[in-house]
Amino acid sequence: MQVFNIPRAIKQNSNFTFCPGCDHGVAIRLVAQIIDELKLQEKTIAVASSGCSVLLYDFLDVDCIESPHGRACAVATGIKRAHRALNNDRFVFTYQGDGDFASIGLAESMHSALRGENITAICINNTNYGMTGGQLGPTTTMGQITTTSPDGRNAHYHGFPIKTAEQIALCEGTSFSARAALYDVKNILSTKNIIKKAFQYQIEGLGFSFVEILSSCPTNWKLSPKDSHLKIQNELTKVYPLGIFKDVKND
Amino acid sequence: MNKKELLKGNIAIAKAALNCGCKCYFGYPITPQTEIGEFLSKEMQQRKLAYVCAESEVAAINMALGAASTGAKVMTSSSSCAVSLMQEAISYASSDELPIVLINVMRAGPGQGYIYPSQGDYNQATTGGGNGDYRTIVLSPSNVQECVDLTYKAFYLSQKYRNPTILLVDGLLGQMAEPVEINDNPYQEIDNSSWRLDGANERPSRNIHSLEPNQNKLNRHIIELFKKYTIIEQNECDYEEYMTQDAKVILTAFGTMARHAKALCNYYREKGIKMGLFRPKTLYPFPYKKLNELSQKTNLIIDIEMNMGQMLKDVRLAVLSNARVAFIGKPVGDWLTEEEMIKAADNILKEQYASI
Repeated sequence: MQVFNIPRAIKQNSNFTFCPGCDHGVAIRLVAQIIDELKLQEKTIAVASSGCSVLLYDFLDVDCIESPHGRACAVATGIKRAHRALNNDRFVFTYQGDGDFASIGLAESMHSALRGENITAICINNTNYGMTGGQLGPTTTMGQITTTSPDGRNAHYHGFPIKTAEQIALCEGTSFSARAALYDVKNILSTKNIIKKAFQYQIEGLGFSFVEILSSCPTNWKLSPKDSHLKIQNELTKVYPLGIFKDVKND
Repeated sequence: MNKKELLKGNIAIAKAALNCGCKCYFGYPITPQTEIGEFLSKEMQQRKLAYVCAESEVAAINMALGAASTGAKVMTSSSSCAVSLMQEAISYASSDELPIVLINVMRAGPGQGYIYPSQGDYNQATTGGGNGDYRTIVLSPSNVQECVDLTYKAFYLSQKYRNPTILLVDGLLGQMAEPVEINDNPYQEIDNSSWRLDGANERPSRNIHSLEPNQNKLNRHIIELFKKYTIIEQNECDYEEYMTQDAKVILTAFGTMARHAKALCNYYREKGIKMGLFRPKTLYPFPYKKLNELSQKTNLIIDIEMNMGQMLKDVRLAVLSNARVAFIGKPVGDWLTEEEMIKAADNILKEQYASI
């Protein structure tokens, strides 16, 4: 009995290029499964960004454009609005890292939420700039050692990290904002439901939907894949609690 | 023939954009081009087109980049110091081969400068203000009618060559009203079904990106871009000649400065000096070949610009050692008075013409 298929929305014969133990692969697989389930493959335009998340288009078998660093929500805005002007109904989402979404691109991200832009943004939060080798980013936690915070993040020296999902939830144009994690099977399944909900809110035209995903970065955290996931479970979820911070259907 | 209207350059550009099927406009206010966005805000909303008051010029140009990937006709407009903010995305769009029309109604720089007219962005527009090997097509109107005609052409060339195209407008032209005819768009529509992102429906998925980790592929991509630029250089050079047939002295100028140059030609012709004007309408591709031919029949070229001599280097590259190249310029604001221009030209002409 076959219990697992590669989703239709994943390119056949694509080689996994993320580091061992990285959660990007799981996140992209979940996105692909949901694209299959909601029958979105033929009408999706995905926006990849800079950093590890740009590799999205190597795996996802949908129309895809790469955005300049931080500008994914602006690029997605342009795509969604242009298709609307052309009388096309298209599904548009961004796939970004935390540095991309919440540091260099914070203006584009937050203003897309404030405008209630009918797009979905997925933000992979691994608390550092992964592709460049693990520097301090907007979500680096207090005390966390990175290559540019060798003595650990210090409030007086580096300032404070951003709680992205909570901030996006404050924007009036946001339809849905949640934080999820991928450290065990239960959470992987719950993350899938959360992404699916965010996608559905776009399909229903409810406005900006957002999912922040706490993700492992074993290479730059200098931990094994197992310890990376324990770190998410035991440490990161205390700083960045999982949950839904805004849901227009329930509020 | 359509009726003539008295329009500011900025409004003429906006009307032309709508008239040739611009579906999306993204912008952020900056003097002296703000009327473009103000005018379009009402018109585009009424037509249910895409109009976004972007949070910054960075966002505006990136919205344009996304929108252009759908194949829709897309425009943004800005001015000088804010066009500097857009250079990253223009570099991306060049590599992505996305047709964005960018209107730059120039103000004075460097930095914030001021809202005085200037032609200080020639270098940025023609040689690329972003990173990497790329070129943008640059068109230069000299009057409000050309603001209309070259807006049509900018959309056409950007679609035809899948390349960002800049309409480089003097600030005073954006703000100046002249009688203008909003004629019909004379250009054909370009089929974009082979590359646009509209969903992988009954075709393989597509992706548009500039990132290329394989150096051989990246080299090939850039070489292909430059093959395209060579074709653009061969096919699209455009210029105006004014009394160059028998000219012994040729003035070179672009944009509104060409109008002053024509007045100088008339003045010196009355004094018996055969003067003509060569005005590039495409700043990239620069019409090197034509100017080189003209320079072979003359002794003296005088370049006139409202800057410190930016087109001057292209003029020198065209003229080579065929003739002496002199320069009259002022970077900002009120242009030289008639007397000041004649005095400057007299000083240059003295060496050739003892009678001056």
